[in-house]
Amino acid sequence: MREHRRTMTRRQFLKTAAAGMALGMTARPEFLDARDEYDLVVISGEPAAATKKALEAIGGISRFLKKGQRVILKPNMSFSRTPEFGATTHPLVVATVAQACIDAGAQQVLILDHTLHRAELSLERTGIREACKNIPGAHVLALQERKFFQEIKIPQGKVLERVEVMKELLDKPVLINIPVAKSHSATGVSLGIKGLMGLIWDRESFHSRYNMNQALADLATVIKPQLTILDATRALTSGGPGGPGEVKKPNLVIAGVDPVAVDSYGVSVVPWYGQNFKGRQVEHLLAAYQRGLGKIDIDQLKIFKERV
Amino acid sequence: MRTFIQALSLLLFSTLFVFATYKLPDWLPADIYLRLDPLLGMNAVFAAREIISRALWSLIIIGTTLVIGRFFCAYVCPMGASIDFLDLLFFQKKKRQGMKLETSLRKVKYFLLIIFITAALTGLSLAFLMDPMALLTRFYTFFIYPLAITLINLILDLLRPLFQALGWVNLSHLHYFQSVYYMSAITLLIFGGIILLNRLVPRFWCRYLCPLGAFLSFLSPLGLFKRRVSQECNECLKCQKNCPMGAIAEDPKATHLPECIQCRTCAKVCPQNAITFPASLFLGGEYSEINFSRRGFVYSLAGGLTVGFLATQNPFTLKQSKFQLIRPPGAIPEPEFLRTCIRCGECMKSCLTNTLQPCLWESGFSGLWTPKMDLRLSPCDQNCNVCGKVCPTQAIRSLSLDEKTHAKVGTAVLRKEMCLVWAQNKLCLICDEICPYNAIVFRPVEGYRRPVVIASKCNGCGFCEERCPVKGESAIVVVLDGEIRLKEGSYMKEAKKLQLEFKPDPGDDKYILEESGFKIEEKKKGEEKTIPEEKPQPKKPKGFL
Repeated sequence: MREHRRTMTRRQFLKTAAAGMALGMTARPEFLDARDEYDLVVISGEPAAATKKALEAIGGISRFLKKGQRVILKPNMSFSRTPEFGATTHPLVVATVAQACIDAGAQQVLILDHTLHRAELSLERTGIREACKNIPGAHVLALQERKFFQEIKIPQGKVLERVEVMKELLDKPVLINIPVAKSHSATGVSLGIKGLMGLIWDRESFHSRYNMNQALADLATVIKPQLTILDATRALTSGGPGGPGEVKKPNLVIAGVDPVAVDSYGVSVVPWYGQNFKGRQVEHLLAAYQRGLGKIDIDQLKIFKERV
Repeated sequence: MRTFIQALSLLLFSTLFVFATYKLPDWLPADIYLRLDPLLGMNAVFAAREIISRALWSLIIIGTTLVIGRFFCAYVCPMGASIDFLDLLFFQKKKRQGMKLETSLRKVKYFLLIIFITAALTGLSLAFLMDPMALLTRFYTFFIYPLAITLINLILDLLRPLFQALGWVNLSHLHYFQSVYYMSAITLLIFGGIILLNRLVPRFWCRYLCPLGAFLSFLSPLGLFKRRVSQECNECLKCQKNCPMGAIAEDPKATHLPECIQCRTCAKVCPQNAITFPASLFLGGEYSEINFSRRGFVYSLAGGLTVGFLATQNPFTLKQSKFQLIRPPGAIPEPEFLRTCIRCGECMKSCLTNTLQPCLWESGFSGLWTPKMDLRLSPCDQNCNVCGKVCPTQAIRSLSLDEKTHAKVGTAVLRKEMCLVWAQNKLCLICDEICPYNAIVFRPVEGYRRPVVIASKCNGCGFCEERCPVKGESAIVVVLDGEIRLKEGSYMKEAKKLQLEFKPDPGDDKYILEESGFKIEEKKKGEEKTIPEEKPQPKKPKGFL
């Protein structure tokens, strides 16, 4: 059978490729735009619609996953708070991404968090379990036991040398971070990079043993989401991370490949604790930037904006 | 038939026990077995000196016993069922000689009953020690339930590789929360002892010790259905040997009616089919007499009074509010609480977070097995109010979630000498992060922002105490001060009167901004030359440069 293997001449290849590209460009012009030119897409609108548009604008979810791959979504569902508190990711944002992954041929979508409040209450009250229950192949899980975590090394770590992360991360799945925009009483804001703390076992030591901001940057050197979708449909601008606090409604969904850029833009969309800040002013974002994890100055970013 | 009904009853008891947890539907009385128990009912009503509405359910058992006889022990009692089933398992083939002291031993249960009732009259709830419903519920709570979870998790762990191979995602990650309790071992010993006594004689507990059985014995001869032996009887004494209660007299045609639990084992084993249980108004004559001596009666009366005195008149009770003991939200005022609580353990089983734990000596003998909150172990969740829902005597009142939120159990106090921020200038804020009521704020002290508790916003839920990363004792502890205990009326109104507010309110964070100290941050700025263009600005919240 070997000798009957299909071969392709160089000419055939070029022809096909050109045709494919032309087709792609006419069908979805923003596909190439976003992919090649834009660092961020910022969509204004209702949670589900804006998320859908953001995924489309960034080039479609299929850009990040191959058929049959396993996908991990990391929303913030750490608190047993209903969506209006702004402490957790909007369930429709999570469900929209999960559905898109399944539609793109993901074999399985795991929606994971290590919650601060009791697991069943958090899954229930955030509305995320309910929103995802009819999506085949999607599983919403709160992993609260050490046996579901495994230690990895942090080669570039400055304050953290090793950290126990969810075992699911070890076999290189597609990781999509879906944080919510909120304030945080220790790190100023809690966006994508701070949200990575939901994937590790020992959260406490970040507060008590390490410089938390540096530890977060260390963590970001080993846990690298392929895509970050920041849910800024609501923003808990004070009283974070758990609330209750002031909830503003920027109605934005911000998506990008660069985790620092997404967070940095997120910092700029609302005043936090009544004041305007830049990404550079957030210590852990600055630390992540200094480790070369992404761009921090949003005026140098190319941003695709649209309202739906 | 009887075994089937017994098994069904035990199953119902167990099922209700499993259902007694967060999200218990309002219509489901998970504590029904405890409510139906007349001894627990009397105990609580006498000790508390008032009518407890849930205890009125026990009139059903009293009524049916008056009509049918002591059927409860043979058919309904889950303790009796456990004893019977475990008897089959362990002692069926063992030869058991009858007890030599049969007649005097039988009196013990009556003496115990008198002691418990007398103690209750002095205001001491004591029947819980030996009431079968309370005993079994406690045994289930402190032993069976945690054991079951351990076993289930063990099985899940063993099968996990299989689940993973099959791609069953939810099962691969399934793990049940392991509840743990103090006093599990003692509870097991007591239950184990009760079962072991069966080695001597079947249903040893029911014959000689059970105070509930003693109470029902008093009513039993009034019941309609009674054992009757016809002329066919050839006096083979098979019935006498097989009666699990030893209720058949030397003359096999006669029955000790107080002891007969209508199990009808005698009818089943009778080779002549001479035994029937027709309805009859005959009261049983001399065989219905419960002959405990006058002396015994007086002694047990005196015993009850003495125990009542010893347990209620001691420093614990006199200085009740001076001991650090956090009761569940909605617990009625301490003296009434101790009188009303029947120590069944149902609240501790149902507790979502496992914070409710049994007391040992924390409040003396009168407080044995009463629920306390162990907030270092676990907090009280603001979305759960199940402990009151399942309390059969309403020693913990059944409250709506809003009401329960306002049933303040204590106040968090920061121990500055241990706090990472106060004592070591570390960047810790877990208590603030986790507090559901924004009762912990950061205020500038000595140029550094440090956590402070706003007492009027703290309802003592204990999230801070549990999460405090300080090793050993927490640097922030909930103390009894400020607790609200109401026998009746609205906790919300009371809290309002006291100007307490357990509600979302972002105001305090704004306050932080206005007053924020930032010297540390400024100093840091000086060290980090990487961003000289960013001048430190005054009044920044933590985390911002």
